[in-house]
Amino acid sequence: MRNGNAEHIAALIAPGRVHRDVYTDPDLFELEMVRIFGRAWLFVGHTSQVPQPGDYVTTELGRQPVVMVRHRDGKVHVLLNRCTHRGAKVVNERKGSAPRLVCCYHGWAFDTDGRLASVPVPEGCAADFDPAQFGLARAPRVGEYRGFVFASLSERGPSFEDHIGPMKGNIDDLVDRAPAGELALDVGMHRYVYAGNWKLQVENVLDSYHVPFGHASTVNKQGVQFARREGDSKGATVVETEKKQTAASWKDRKSYIVGNGHGWTSNTALDDGKRSSPAFDEYKRVLAEKVGAERAQQILTPHLHNSLIYPNVSIMGLNIHVRVIKPIAVDRTEVTIYPIRLVGAPDAMNFGNIRLLNVTHSAASFVQTDDLESFVRAQKGLRSTLTDWVDISRGLGDEEPDRELNATRGLATHEMVVRAQYKAWLGYMREAA
Amino acid sequence: MAVPRAELEEFIIHEARLLDQRRFRDWMGLFAEDGTYWVPAVPDQKSPFDQASLFYDDRDLMRTRIERLEHPRIHVQTPPSRTAHLVGNAIVEEVDDARGEYVVGSTVIMVEYRDEQQRVFAGRQRHRLRREGTSFRIVQKRVDLINCDSAFEAMAVPI
Repeated sequence: MRNGNAEHIAALIAPGRVHRDVYTDPDLFELEMVRIFGRAWLFVGHTSQVPQPGDYVTTELGRQPVVMVRHRDGKVHVLLNRCTHRGAKVVNERKGSAPRLVCCYHGWAFDTDGRLASVPVPEGCAADFDPAQFGLARAPRVGEYRGFVFASLSERGPSFEDHIGPMKGNIDDLVDRAPAGELALDVGMHRYVYAGNWKLQVENVLDSYHVPFGHASTVNKQGVQFARREGDSKGATVVETEKKQTAASWKDRKSYIVGNGHGWTSNTALDDGKRSSPAFDEYKRVLAEKVGAERAQQILTPHLHNSLIYPNVSIMGLNIHVRVIKPIAVDRTEVTIYPIRLVGAPDAMNFGNIRLLNVTHSAASFVQTDDLESFVRAQKGLRSTLTDWVDISRGLGDEEPDRELNATRGLATHEMVVRAQYKAWLGYMREAA
Repeated sequence: MAVPRAELEEFIIHEARLLDQRRFRDWMGLFAEDGTYWVPAVPDQKSPFDQASLFYDDRDLMRTRIERLEHPRIHVQTPPSRTAHLVGNAIVEEVDDARGEYVVGSTVIMVEYRDEQQRVFAGRQRHRLRREGTSFRIVQKRVDLINCDSAFEAMAVPI
């Protein structure tokens, strides 16, 4: 890396293109950990993962270990998972429940709100030792919307409302599908890693251009993908096989951006009138009983395919799940996929969602694995130094305002959303933290 | 009735060999119509119905999976995986004479090579087998990988 000053950073992004260093330079990656992951609002977890006092889950924000824990008063805290004594990671399990968080090394014990509760052999502490100064560090800013917990590791920056506000409707779209009006991320998780940069996964979640070719192996001889929702007999028409081209309905999909790097893609119309199975029909009945038939119909007509809340979480509206992207190194990324339990929906409906997510997004799935192969090959190809630029120019200049949605609209097979991500990237990166 | 231990053991070795030979259709043919293939995503997972699994395929999903494995544009199998299974330590854990069913527990190690990389999968597996004529059909094959809850690079072939 040359120096990381604003001028250098700005030169990495040009209209319709991104410099290869953005994916391959370890120094730029270190800078991203400070300037993006060190201050952006990052998705941490969902309150349903810690339903009872003492329940905790551990994760990483960027590369920093954190623990999300519910205190006795019901409040959910996001604490840095690092003992304030000699630095050991305090909680070592992915999830669990404990009255106190106790460091394995010397036994310092922290209450579930982060306060230092006890120190073994206290008579040895320095005369001016003040336990109040030795609580677990906490994320300076934490915000929550309908159970989705976000944190920023910086005191400064746009407010939670400024950041998440434009994407609340996308969260609502998912949460409203639960008859009880709430989600639970308590049905396990899928975890995968790939030898590629984290932004390859971020770019991919809103990329409808890759589907007909990248996922060709999931499309049958009639150009139709396998059924991905409970109650569907088949999936979307992706390819017009006679003409050997991307189907018109696929090309018609739209994407939207709303600033901050966020965006979403619209859904291809599936045959919702024919969607039926015992589990789906019962779910539809229960939902209609709660919210009325008209509203239920509205909720069950999908508008969103995938939403991205930049930089680290996407919400999938087709095979419903929450996807969290964790950078590990410039060329290594881990992704966690949480299936969603629609609270109040029949068990059979929730099982239908879990079962289909296994085959679309587990590490052994039909869909995600071809994406992972593409990310790995992108990272390998980008080692080439004779071509500096990655092209993201599809649809450049074709963006148009969508006044109804208060967004900017483009075709989903274009690359407007990727350009929007790099605009946000530049916003974080050009400014010293 | 005597437990046909040797026959059962030979059957699960044959099953693993079909996978190594990439004879996926023949492999699927070993499963009963109501058969399932299950690879849990957490240790001691109680059920595939209330949480995520790495694999939980009934015959329909198995067929879709195999159609994809046969597709010329399955990128994650270009080049294809080569695998070697080792199945051992087999014990007949349950005998249900009334149904003609047996549960065979064993240890499985699968070494996979693909695209300049080799990796190892290992775990315990349980086959619930139903007597059918002179052979058996698989009612359920369950593989509990010792690292089932870790983050995996893409997996394309069954274990």
